[in-house]
Amino acid sequence: MAGQATTTPSSLAARFFHGRFPLYFSAAIFRLVFLLYGLWQDANSPVKYTDIDYLVFTDAARFMSKGQSPYHRETYRYTPVLAWLLLPTVWVTGSPFWDAVWFSSGKVLFAAADLVAGWFLERLLTMGGQGVRPMDGPTARRFAAIWLLNPMVATISTRGSSEGLLGVLVTALLWAVVARRATLAALLLGFGVHFKIYPFIYAPAILWWMDGERMSGAGPSKSSSSGPGPSLLSRLARFITPARLQLAVISLAVFLGLNVFMFQIYGTPFLIHTYFHHVSRIDHRHNFSPYNTQLYLTSAFPNLSALRIESVAFLPQLVLSCVMIPFILAKKSLPTAMLAQTFAFVSFNKVCTSQYFLWYMVLLPLYLPTSSFMENKRLGLCALALWVASQGLWLQQGFELEFLGQSTFVPGLWLASLGFFLVNCWILGVIIGDVVLQPKSI
Amino acid sequence: MRERITYLQKRHSSLPPSSLTVTPTSLSGPTIHAIREERLTFSLDELPRELSSVLNEVHELHVRWVSTKGYQSVGAFVGRLPGGWHIFWTPGAGAAGAEGGGDAEGKLGRVLGSAFGAEVEEGAFTKLPGGRFTNAAALQYFQPLESLDRFAGFAKGKLCPAEDEECGRRMDAVKGASALDVSYDTISHALKVTALWAYQEQEIRAVGREGVRTEVGVLSDEKTPTMEDHELGVSGLLTVLGQDEKPSATMFSFPSRHRDAESGFSAGFTQVGLHPVLQLKLGSNKPPVEGVTCAPHAYFTFPRTIFADRYQLSDDLFLASKNLTALRYISQPVDLEAPEYVMRTWGSAALLELKPPMMGEKEEAWTAEIPLHLRYLTPTHGGYAHLEVPYPAVFWACNAEEGTKFPTNPFERANLGYDGLFGPRTVFWHVEPRPETGDRVASPIRVPVLDLGKAGWVNIGTAAVVLLGFAWVSWKLLLVYLKSGYGASRTSETSEKKRQ
Repeated sequence: MAGQATTTPSSLAARFFHGRFPLYFSAAIFRLVFLLYGLWQDANSPVKYTDIDYLVFTDAARFMSKGQSPYHRETYRYTPVLAWLLLPTVWVTGSPFWDAVWFSSGKVLFAAADLVAGWFLERLLTMGGQGVRPMDGPTARRFAAIWLLNPMVATISTRGSSEGLLGVLVTALLWAVVARRATLAALLLGFGVHFKIYPFIYAPAILWWMDGERMSGAGPSKSSSSGPGPSLLSRLARFITPARLQLAVISLAVFLGLNVFMFQIYGTPFLIHTYFHHVSRIDHRHNFSPYNTQLYLTSAFPNLSALRIESVAFLPQLVLSCVMIPFILAKKSLPTAMLAQTFAFVSFNKVCTSQYFLWYMVLLPLYLPTSSFMENKRLGLCALALWVASQGLWLQQGFELEFLGQSTFVPGLWLASLGFFLVNCWILGVIIGDVVLQPKSI
Repeated sequence: MRERITYLQKRHSSLPPSSLTVTPTSLSGPTIHAIREERLTFSLDELPRELSSVLNEVHELHVRWVSTKGYQSVGAFVGRLPGGWHIFWTPGAGAAGAEGGGDAEGKLGRVLGSAFGAEVEEGAFTKLPGGRFTNAAALQYFQPLESLDRFAGFAKGKLCPAEDEECGRRMDAVKGASALDVSYDTISHALKVTALWAYQEQEIRAVGREGVRTEVGVLSDEKTPTMEDHELGVSGLLTVLGQDEKPSATMFSFPSRHRDAESGFSAGFTQVGLHPVLQLKLGSNKPPVEGVTCAPHAYFTFPRTIFADRYQLSDDLFLASKNLTALRYISQPVDLEAPEYVMRTWGSAALLELKPPMMGEKEEAWTAEIPLHLRYLTPTHGGYAHLEVPYPAVFWACNAEEGTKFPTNPFERANLGYDGLFGPRTVFWHVEPRPETGDRVASPIRVPVLDLGKAGWVNIGTAAVVLLGFAWVSWKLLLVYLKSGYGASRTSETSEKKRQ
């Protein structure tokens, strides 16, 4: 590393990624420009740059600042922690300039979370392990730039969507696990699940990965993957390691503790809006999920359909993302397993909107260096083109429905969402296949 | 039972007393251009038991039906509401489950529903904001309702003896009315049924009945120099059948909260899709009176299929770009996500203050746009549902001078849904709803829904594709498993080891 640092990089790109400063500085400036542009558009155009969700969060924070429940704001379906974090957005100073600055403080927080997530990505890439040889800093930064300089990511956080916070939570969680910091990992996991539920899918992967050999640093046991093992009971006993117990107990305690605490303050509305809503919602409005048209149909005629897919839809989703993928992939490559889990969870979900794509996008820089998409550029471009095109087809059908009033539910939107789903499944299959490829690459 | 029949002509068109023929049981006269109002007042014991038992649990009730066909009105009768069927009521103190109406609400809904040929679902009423007016009703309901045919039949069956042809004829005539009010309150203990026939050609004709005091007024709108801005005047001939041998001339004035702004508006959807925009086209940007504070308003009763988003309507820049000032009131709750078919409340009422662009000295036409959102509706064969959204009531709300009082006048209409949202000195100058095409004062819209005719493959197809995707991903997982099991792959272990 030291030797590398002394050589002077020649090309512009190489110089850009040589040190940390240019990348993080430009990522920050990039977001600052978006943020200022957004302020200008909000002040001058009836069409707003700021996401509706940001107004929901800040309205909730306003209720909170008056000592009321954030759930007084309709459609606030998040933990009170989010509204707490955004309390500065409702500070009123009397000066329009500072009011605007404070109002934007939540966006600054989300954008800063993006940068921290990028930094964790760089750390993870340079650490290596996990079936990945450690990278040098400049190369790691090139991959981190996929997240840091991604206009989609920058737009989403500067418009005021809170997904950037999840990016930092998930990358920090992964870093803590790989760095063998079980307590920190447990705290992050418990908090992450409290914050947005879906990170619970990472629990089985992390637990499975944390085997005795890895955590103690001892060599791998011969029976880890094949051959007749010892009795079931002794295998179970060997499975329950101190690190695993620590992770399970602490994360569960954090999750339950936070929920009990919030319930004490905000009562049943907290439970209803943060958790139960996501179980009972009808999800009938058009979105990318393959189940969407089906859900509209069955919600309108609840008595007619014999086959209630929505009541078993969680099965393929959870079997893949919580059982099969963690079991087969986690020990081979934890980042790739988590990427595949998230990809499966989002693709097989009953509701799927574009902000969910950020959930897996943050893990892409960890997978791509050893992927067949990078190795075979044509395959990579083909996958990207299919992903974009099938989404575009859906968006076009959605536009015709939403703004032109054409009844495109069937076959247009339905087939488009199924097509997008199949493209996602294909990409997921390639990602899964890549774990046996990985050690050879880089 | 008492009866009052009023013909009201426009200004400067009064009749000489000699043109009316009065007998002890009837009054007749020429055919005139006028608006006609008939009001029957019943005491509780004159009503069928099923009705009076419901009214016993009611503190106050106003059922109003307004035709969705445009009609012209005159003078004291200009008070407007969106076309359709409105209920405003307050449960009595003794009503079972008086809190939100409870059982009394269900009972009232059933009786009114069967009387008007509509279905009022349990829990469909919304609460009105109380406080400002002690006499404002507590609960509101609205639904589109095309005609009074069913009500006319109901009234005929309940009120007319089989052999009484005149009674039957009168009830049949209700089918042609443009508006109907049924009001009851515990203070008067009387049920008033008032029907209004639009300003049109009609023959003066009234028939008295045994035991019924019938008062007939043939009046015209009047304006005298001594009258104040907020006052209305009428002059003409009054006759009480069986009591008066000839009509007596009369003239009186009274303060009125509802006035005619003498301009018109129409409404239509300009943007289709799931987020349609309703455009109001107003004929005049000049307030009806000078020297007082006036602002134009639109009061909507949106069926549950469509709604306004109060959060969207809170940004000043956005509102100004649509010629709106503010959303002054919206009934609660308005679910922003639920499909129409799971809704329980009737819909939502909204009061918007409009912002007329101030152009030159001259009166000019202008528009205001109201962004709305459609709910998902029940799938149909063909993929479209056809809806109609009634025009709002559009009026200039102007402040009357300090100290002005509005005592009850003979043609008073209170509890219209929006009057309780304003101060006690507000005068409503109504802008006449005029059809865009045809005769309907409602805006049609085509809503895209799931096409049932094409939905046959949705269940099977979705299941098959999800299973296919699941099978493919599982197959890839199985290949990995067969190749290197569930543990760490060997090379990665060695690299891990090397690292350590």
